[in-house]
Parts: sequence; C-alpha cells; structure tokens
Amino acid sequence: MQVLAKTARASAPRFCMRSFASSAERCQATPIEKPVLNKEFKIYRWNPDEPANKPTLQSFTIDLNQTGPMILDALIKIKNEIDPTLTFRRSCREGICGSCAMNIDGQNTLACLCRIDRNPSKNSKIYPLPHMYIVKDLVPDLTLFYKQYKSIKPYLQNDNLPEQGEFLQSQEDRKKLDGMYECILCACCTTSCPSYWWNQDEYLGPATLMQAYRWIADSRDSYGAQRKEQLQNEMSMYRCHTIFNCARTCPKGLNPAEAIAKIKLELAAD
Amino acid sequence: MASSVILRSTLPRTFTSATGRNSLRFALQVRAASSTTQYVPGGPILKGTVNDPTEFPPPSRTHGSYHWAFERLLAASLVPMTAAAFVTSGSSYPVFDGLLGLSLVMHSHIGFDSMVVDYVHKRKFPVLGPILTWTLRSATVGVLVGVYQFNTNDIGLTELIAKVWTA
Repeated sequence: MQVLAKTARASAPRFCMRSFASSAERCQATPIEKPVLNKEFKIYRWNPDEPANKPTLQSFTIDLNQTGPMILDALIKIKNEIDPTLTFRRSCREGICGSCAMNIDGQNTLACLCRIDRNPSKNSKIYPLPHMYIVKDLVPDLTLFYKQYKSIKPYLQNDNLPEQGEFLQSQEDRKKLDGMYECILCACCTTSCPSYWWNQDEYLGPATLMQAYRWIADSRDSYGAQRKEQLQNEMSMYRCHTIFNCARTCPKGLNPAEAIAKIKLELAAD
Repeated sequence: MASSVILRSTLPRTFTSATGRNSLRFALQVRAASSTTQYVPGGPILKGTVNDPTEFPPPSRTHGSYHWAFERLLAASLVPMTAAAFVTSGSSYPVFDGLLGLSLVMHSHIGFDSMVVDYVHKRKFPVLGPILTWTLRSATVGVLVGVYQFNTNDIGLTELIAKVWTA
C-alpha cells in the first residue's frame, strides 16, 4: 500500500498535466490510510456552577492517529470535537508561556511538552496541579503563587546607577544566572513540593525561591543583603526539606533545589 | 487601605453540613491572627488585593540560618561520634558517652519539632499545635534526665548498646 502510494507520487509529474478539477484523479497520490488507534483519556472535571457535585474523572476516547503528538493536542481535540465545556489554560503550545501546566499521569508537566503515550491499552489521567484551589476543571487558582512571586521583588534593585550607559556584567557573572532566568513560572515545581502542599500560605515554594536567588546572585543587584534577610525565618525558605520533587518535575529541566541549597549556604556563611 | 482589603478568591464556596469530623476540623483550624490566609473550605481568603505581595514574618536568625547550620552540624557530627562509640567503651570515656546521648536527643528533638512545624503548626491548629509542641519539649527534657541518670548511675548508653549487640 505504502509502496503503491510512493510510486504514484513519484510518477505523478510525468503523467500529470494541468487538468480540470473535474478530471479523473488517477494521477493523484492516495493518502495513506492510518489505522484507528483509540486511546482513553481520563480528565478531572469540576464545575464551579454546580459546587455541590464532587469532582469526577470524565473519560474521553479519541483516535491518536487523528491527533497531534502532544497531550495538549489531545485536549484541544477533545474540546473542539467532543466536549466544548472542557476548561484548561493554554497559549503558546511550545513550552514558553507556562499556561498549560497540569498533572499528567502523576507528573506535573506542561501539556504542550508532554508526548502522548501511544500505548492504547493504558489510559492517560490528567489532573490539575495538585493541592491548588480549582477554578474549573484543569484551571488552578494561582493568585497566591503570583503574590508570593511579587513578594521577593523580582526586579533589579540598585541605588548606585552607573554614570552613563547600562550596568555592565562580566561573562562569569552572567553565567551564574543560567539555569535560573529560564524559569517560566508554570508552578509545576512549586505544586509538586509536599512542603508547599502543607504550608503554602507561609512557605514560598521552589519557583519563587529560585527567582529570589536569581536576584541575589545577580552582580548588578545591590540589595542582596535585604533579600537574604527576608528569608531568615522559620517558614519562608527553611520549610524546604530537600525533597527534590522540584528538580525532578521541572519541564524546562531547571534545578530549583540547587538554587535553594545555594541560598541556605549563603545564609549560613553570613 | 490595601492591607484592609480582603481578597475574595474567585471560587464559590461550598458549605457542607458540619459532620462530626468536619466540626472537629473547624474547631482545630480556627484562624490565627498572624496567618496570611484563612482556612475555610472552598477557597482561600487572601490578605490584600491580587496585586499586593505576600508579607514576610519578622526576620530572626535564630529560627533561620543559625537553626539550620546547628541542625546540619549536629547531624554531621553524629556520624564520627557513632563511629567512635564503636571503637571506645562508654565506661572509660563517660563525658563522651554523655555527649553522644545529648546529641542524639537533640537531633531527634529537632526532627520531631520539624514534623510539628510542618504538619500541626499552631497557626492552623491553635489547640493541637501548642499541645504537641509542649508534649515534645517535656518528652525531650524527660529523656535528657533519663539519659543523665542512666549514664551516671548505670552502665551508660554505649555499654548498653554493646550489651544488646552481643546478647
């Protein structure tokens, strides 16, 4: 079948002249018929309009051969073709906006970067980020997460402006920021942290702490001492028990645990 | 102004009937004044507007870096101390034996205390939290007294373990 299609395509330019649309289509290659590959997706559903109903897992079955390769493609297909009420966040579909963070088969990750497991006998379970208040279906309430991010003042603070031009930084100093500035704040690491599950109102969580260190480590920032002083308490940072879920789950391959370890070391050396 | 505003989360709240377990939970989770969020079923009540950052507790090195450094040094020093206890005998070095007992008790106290802070902090459990904290403290003091008595009037910790080991 495939061979036939190939030869038809290869020989097409020889036989095929410009012809009318109604002409016989003998010169066109026949598309390869892909077999149906059905896979079941079990998706967490909760509707705030019916708060009395408990959250449920709803099952959807779609043909993987008619779907893109990523979980996000499957979600979009389900929303387009089966159930338009399915709610989730998505934007860039290429792992740079962090909107589609969710718990897929037990792992926090970005739906757009997570390949669908093509084994049709196993279903895929999709939950929202764990231990967050849910707005609807796969949409968690990240208000507190953003408020915490704001609390570490994630911007350059320096009272001694250079006389002219911009702040200059050596290449070595710039290298210290690699592995931290790439964070897209998708909250995958923070919501995978058991300490954050139990104490999220006081503990900042790995994503925020890594950004705190990103500004402590920046050679152009002169408020390092104040930034560190803020973390000198029982809850804000020291609830980190080096569980390493953050480093394991990060869909961008970053290591928040290492950044937190460096803050602890700097605080201890102070 | 901003600090007086209470941010209502976008979530509608479900009021479930207070069964026995729930009402116990409510009783234990009465809001502590210093907490940034209120513990109510159905959604958080955050302090300030969505644009206000969360606040930090007052800085204290005793609860911060000093505590952490002490904890790590103590844990690390337990390794050579345990190894040394294998080599020497407790009766010939009673001070060392006492130091090992003290370190072990402090190490476990810090470990248990960290569990209390993690899971039954007093801001969430205003009744149960302090009860457990003081239970732990009194247990630690009791064990310290016991270890002291055992080391001064009896064979001591290292000798006991050696005895059990060969028994």
